[in-house]
Amino acid sequence: MFARRESALLVWITALIALMITVMPLPKILSVLWPNMLVLVVLYWSTMMPGAGGILIGFLGGLCLDVLTGSQLGQHALALSLLCYLAIRLHLLVRAKPLFEQALFVVLALLVYEGVLWAVDGFSAQGTGTWTRWVPVLTGAAVWPLIAGVLGRLHAPR
Amino acid sequence: MAYAGGLNSPSGRDSAPGPRFFFFAALSIVLMYFDQRDGWSERIRYVLQAAAYPIQVAVGSPRQLWVATHDLFESRGSLRAENAELQQRERQLAVTAMRFEALEQENARLRALTDSLPPLVKRSQLADVVNVDLGRQRLVIDKGDHNGLYRSQPVIDATGLVGQVVRLGPWSAEVLLITDPEHAVPVEVLRNGTQTIAVGSGDEAELRLPLLPATADVKAGDVIVTSGLGGVFPAGLPVGTVLEVVRDPDEILARVRVKPRATLAQDRQVIALWFNPGHPAAPVDPSLARDLPEAPLAQPVLKPPPPPVPAATAPAAAKPAPAPAAATPSPASAGQESR
Repeated sequence: MFARRESALLVWITALIALMITVMPLPKILSVLWPNMLVLVVLYWSTMMPGAGGILIGFLGGLCLDVLTGSQLGQHALALSLLCYLAIRLHLLVRAKPLFEQALFVVLALLVYEGVLWAVDGFSAQGTGTWTRWVPVLTGAAVWPLIAGVLGRLHAPR
Repeated sequence: MAYAGGLNSPSGRDSAPGPRFFFFAALSIVLMYFDQRDGWSERIRYVLQAAAYPIQVAVGSPRQLWVATHDLFESRGSLRAENAELQQRERQLAVTAMRFEALEQENARLRALTDSLPPLVKRSQLADVVNVDLGRQRLVIDKGDHNGLYRSQPVIDATGLVGQVVRLGPWSAEVLLITDPEHAVPVEVLRNGTQTIAVGSGDEAELRLPLLPATADVKAGDVIVTSGLGGVFPAGLPVGTVLEVVRDPDEILARVRVKPRATLAQDRQVIALWFNPGHPAAPVDPSLARDLPEAPLAQPVLKPPPPPVPAATAPAAAKPAPAPAAATPSPASAGQESR
């Protein structure tokens, strides 16, 4: 078993890398499809090691997204905190399921996440975007096995 | 407090996610509240912007690296060709500049001013583009508050208007491109002074003029320049060229597509501008603009500028309000030289 401190470090470093992948400048078409890696990674750690990052990582990660994507301060932070909370609460339900079923949960989780962003956009009378904002929900679920595979490899040797 | 939960406990339940979630959610909502209101959150953002700058640089670095290696291996022949081309262009520009000086003198005389005008651009600052975000239509540049940049400052490149500064960090700034769908520039058709507003399309190769009536005198090939209204941009900066005008008999307004002059997405260096407030073509004094509360982008960033600019056109800069800006050549607008 990893020491607690070490696994916390692993969580924060992978989250930082995921954040950078998320905000990477991309060609237009790719940027529509691009899944939010940070959300997926935070989701993974919240289900697999609910104690390591906690909700704090969701909040701080969301805040970084707010600044880097220029959205309202606190918008992504709220959505990602909520996602973290749900994942920590339901982690026993999801953790042992096969990858395919996990991916279904990921679709639900990403729908909740995007739904919060959408609602906040609506409440604050900003444009709620086009349908393309929902595309990453599906692509996110599609890359979930990859994320789970890579991150699982990272903390598996215990 | 992050690791306070029991990692080793089978369920992690003793980490009490409920209260903690409640705390963070409340914090987020408070942040959002203050971000919607004015000013206060600007300081947090400023600090966070500085913290985020390394990430932005790191994330933009593959592109920078590609550009740098490309430069490194550029052949001698192509460099020589480029040099020759630049020299020729410089000669042409010198001729134009000579004419320009004469015209400026003449203009000053015509305006019955005793001495010639101060130069419009007081100071300019070259900045490297460190990150291009086409999804959000923004550039991140490597100059910021410490270089004296200010919010809503116009940014150009060698060919035309690029956009305006929307977020300011200590050492970096974000420039919103004119092609962002939320961005609007008050412009005029250079040929006849028809005033309208150019709105971004979300595609960095296109702008639209959504408020021109179908009867407006505009045609493909017309040059579009800033009109100087709205208080952000000075008059006379080239914005783009009209690509096509579609006049649908069923619609009151013409559909006008404009190709931006500036090479927005390919820019590697841009120029931030400061203006002499005394010049008639200058926008309002930046020191006035700096004190203003943060406004959402969809609303005009500035309060109604000083007298010479008709107040009615300023609000139209953002919301596509139908009538006022469109057709009437304004009586005594600051930058208009057409009559």
